[in-house]
Amino acid sequence: MPAADTLPLAAVSASNAALVTFLVYTLAVFGLAALSNRLLQKKSFLSEYFLGSRSLGVWAFALTFAATSASGGSFTGFPSKIYTHGWILGLWIGSYIVVPICAMGLLGKRINHVARISGAITVPDVLRDRFRSPGFGLLAVSLILFFMAFNLVAQFKAGSEILNTLLQDVPAFRGAVGFVADLKQDAGILNEVNSAYLVCLLAFAVAVIIYTTWGGFHAVVWTDVMQGVVMVVGVIIMLPLALSQVGGLEKSTAEMKQMTPPRLGLARFELAVPLAEGYSLPSPWFALEDPQGTRRLFRVNRALAIPAGRTIIEDVKVVELTTASEIERQFARLQEAREVRQTMVHVAQVKRRQIAWTDQRLKGNAGGQEPVDRGRLQGERERLHEELDRIQQLIDRPGETGGVSALLNADELNVAVPTVTWTQEYAYGAGRPGMYVTGPGPLPSRLPATAPRPDDADRGATERVQEPSPRSSDLDLSDGFLPLSLAISFFFMWAISGSGQPSSMVRLMAFKNTPTLRRAIFTVAIYYSLIYFPLVIIFCCARLLLPGMDLESDRIMPQMAVTLTSNVGQGWLAGLLIAAPFAAVMSTVDSFLLMMSSALVRDVYQRNLNPEASERTIKRLSYLATLLVGIVALVGAVNPPQFLQDIIVYTGSGLAACFLGPMIFALYWPRANVPGCVSGMLAGFGAHLSLYFTGSFVNGSFFEPYQILNFDPIVVGLFVSFATTYVVTKLTAPPPQDLVRRYFYRDAARARQNIG
Amino acid sequence: MASSAATPPPDAPVSGGQRAEYDPVFLHSRREAIVIFVVWLAGLVWAVPYCYVNGYVGNVEPESVATVWGIPAWLFWGIAVPWLAADLFTVWFCFWYMQDDDLGAAPEEESDHDDVGAAAREEAR
Repeated sequence: MPAADTLPLAAVSASNAALVTFLVYTLAVFGLAALSNRLLQKKSFLSEYFLGSRSLGVWAFALTFAATSASGGSFTGFPSKIYTHGWILGLWIGSYIVVPICAMGLLGKRINHVARISGAITVPDVLRDRFRSPGFGLLAVSLILFFMAFNLVAQFKAGSEILNTLLQDVPAFRGAVGFVADLKQDAGILNEVNSAYLVCLLAFAVAVIIYTTWGGFHAVVWTDVMQGVVMVVGVIIMLPLALSQVGGLEKSTAEMKQMTPPRLGLARFELAVPLAEGYSLPSPWFALEDPQGTRRLFRVNRALAIPAGRTIIEDVKVVELTTASEIERQFARLQEAREVRQTMVHVAQVKRRQIAWTDQRLKGNAGGQEPVDRGRLQGERERLHEELDRIQQLIDRPGETGGVSALLNADELNVAVPTVTWTQEYAYGAGRPGMYVTGPGPLPSRLPATAPRPDDADRGATERVQEPSPRSSDLDLSDGFLPLSLAISFFFMWAISGSGQPSSMVRLMAFKNTPTLRRAIFTVAIYYSLIYFPLVIIFCCARLLLPGMDLESDRIMPQMAVTLTSNVGQGWLAGLLIAAPFAAVMSTVDSFLLMMSSALVRDVYQRNLNPEASERTIKRLSYLATLLVGIVALVGAVNPPQFLQDIIVYTGSGLAACFLGPMIFALYWPRANVPGCVSGMLAGFGAHLSLYFTGSFVNGSFFEPYQILNFDPIVVGLFVSFATTYVVTKLTAPPPQDLVRRYFYRDAARARQNIG
Repeated sequence: MASSAATPPPDAPVSGGQRAEYDPVFLHSRREAIVIFVVWLAGLVWAVPYCYVNGYVGNVEPESVATVWGIPAWLFWGIAVPWLAADLFTVWFCFWYMQDDDLGAAPEEESDHDDVGAAAREEAR
């Protein structure tokens, strides 16, 4: 392919102003932690540290509940899915119409009541006391630790990714990344880990661990309140910006009707001259012309990392746009002066590194290399200098150097010549318009890590195209993103499984009284209405504003925040908008950290190992456990799991399959007993896990679970758990009368009141 | 409600020659939970079939999907409008239906010292 046919272009960048906004937000979080720590000095430590002294008012309770539930998934995974599959995500989250009333109302009043009767401050406490069974309590602790550990690692990754997007073009951050990269190289460890990710992970983890350890439950709640406000304000700002920038929702949906899913592929990049030190070109675009003269437009997945000393970069993931109107629109956008200027700034950086490489070689050459090499290097060096001068001129005085489109076609902009080596179509919806506005929604196929080649001799030479599968011409709904059975499953997933999350149950144990509960349910209902459906609208608009991000859609939220604000010249706002997903992750992580440390200190240590422990010991252990859990999660996230949203779905549905059935029976059925509830918990866990394990054999990945009749494992897990609890309870002896009387009967209530 | 609370269950424990009554907080919570479950079921029964019949390929021509205010019509009537209805129901449920109950006091609220720890010590003994 001739070099002149390629158009490398860069993505937008965040400004320092965004960083300042973001730092102000982080400082506020620490301020709240300090205030919470002062409260800790005045009240009963354990109850205050882990449960906020059961004193949460309406706003605190409503927003901590909403913010904890709206995890990193809501602001990273969910927007990513909307972007990838379109309007069908409205049905995917359909049960959010009743999530607030279900998640808070199904268990809220009763679990708070039962926890007060026994003095329970954790979920395992409730189960242990309700049945007077230490073994049941320990089983609950084990399951919480098992699932939360996975989830915490995934959330740490989400927080780091968001931070990375915000900071990627901030000079101080790039300096820090370079410093860490040198440290890694010197120490010879963590070579496989991306330096930018590592810096962000450390910053994120240190911030969250410190404020959670320092302030305890109230710090978590107050920061949740602030984070909850940030989230809704972020969405409210983004919605009109997105709508105005796409020309209205009618226009946006009309465009989506014409859209066909992109092709995914792999490409190979070749440089004429290597770089003295590595450089990342942020998500460049390039165009190729096929033999029929048709222009094809590709976007590179993530930054194109060019390592020092290398001239060939293999198997770079790319997305090819396939909708004619989208390609034209993107070409026009890429020819805007700002985009071209940003590209040239990056290209100039690459040229400087190439010059540095030739300088190094020329200096090293004095003692020995062939004169012919030296001559060629000097020629390269002069050419690169000329190109750099021209680029610098264009950057400094864009008005004096001719038309923008001429700049795009200039040879000197081609820092790396691309060749597409592999392309494949979507598994469902390929080549068909209208897929983004109907069900079941388009579904990408898994891209291989390396381009399949017939033999090594053919490596990277020409583009190969995946043979269409026999079914790709048909539209079998079960191949799409959300077939009917999965739509039903997700109605269970959010509303019912949301009720079964131990992290939500803890919050339900912390509100002050029933008027607080009633008002909080109403508040959360309005809150969710303001967040979730608008998110669907915003990220459907993202398909028009930021095409080609299909392979890095986890970054669509922060990228959209930066794009929307920089398009209206308000870059500082990006900090606030990116703070929204960051807040969502933080509010989930801090709650999970505290849940895990409470499980260790309260449920394992105090209630099983050392009931005589003094408050001072408990206090020290609580701080230590929170710190340790955070550090372990940080270490786990250094080599991050790949499937963020999948892990969140796995742990969320697994916890519900284990806890919801036994908890509902424990709270609402006087006949419930230990054998029944323990069996139900284990059966839910086993059924859910076995479907995931089966998936790893049948579908080739643990995170593609086996689906009985196409239903998600959550439905099977819940069914098995409820049925087992009921049947085993019926087959075993009734619980002791005094326990039933204590938790279900009025005379016991009166007796408690008299004691009070 | 109050009447059901007054009716002792047949297997209720006997105290002072009289059958004990269920705790009203338990009864109110259970009744409210049932209403909530029915609402969830109603949402499921409306939203999923409506969206499937009116918005899935095979039942509708993808390129000619109707819209309401830019939202595909199947999603507008299947999810957006029920969302509004669910919010209205929530208002009614929270402000007119749900009972205010006395949830009682936790052990640590009844004294200044850390009774949570005391409970654990007592249990261990």
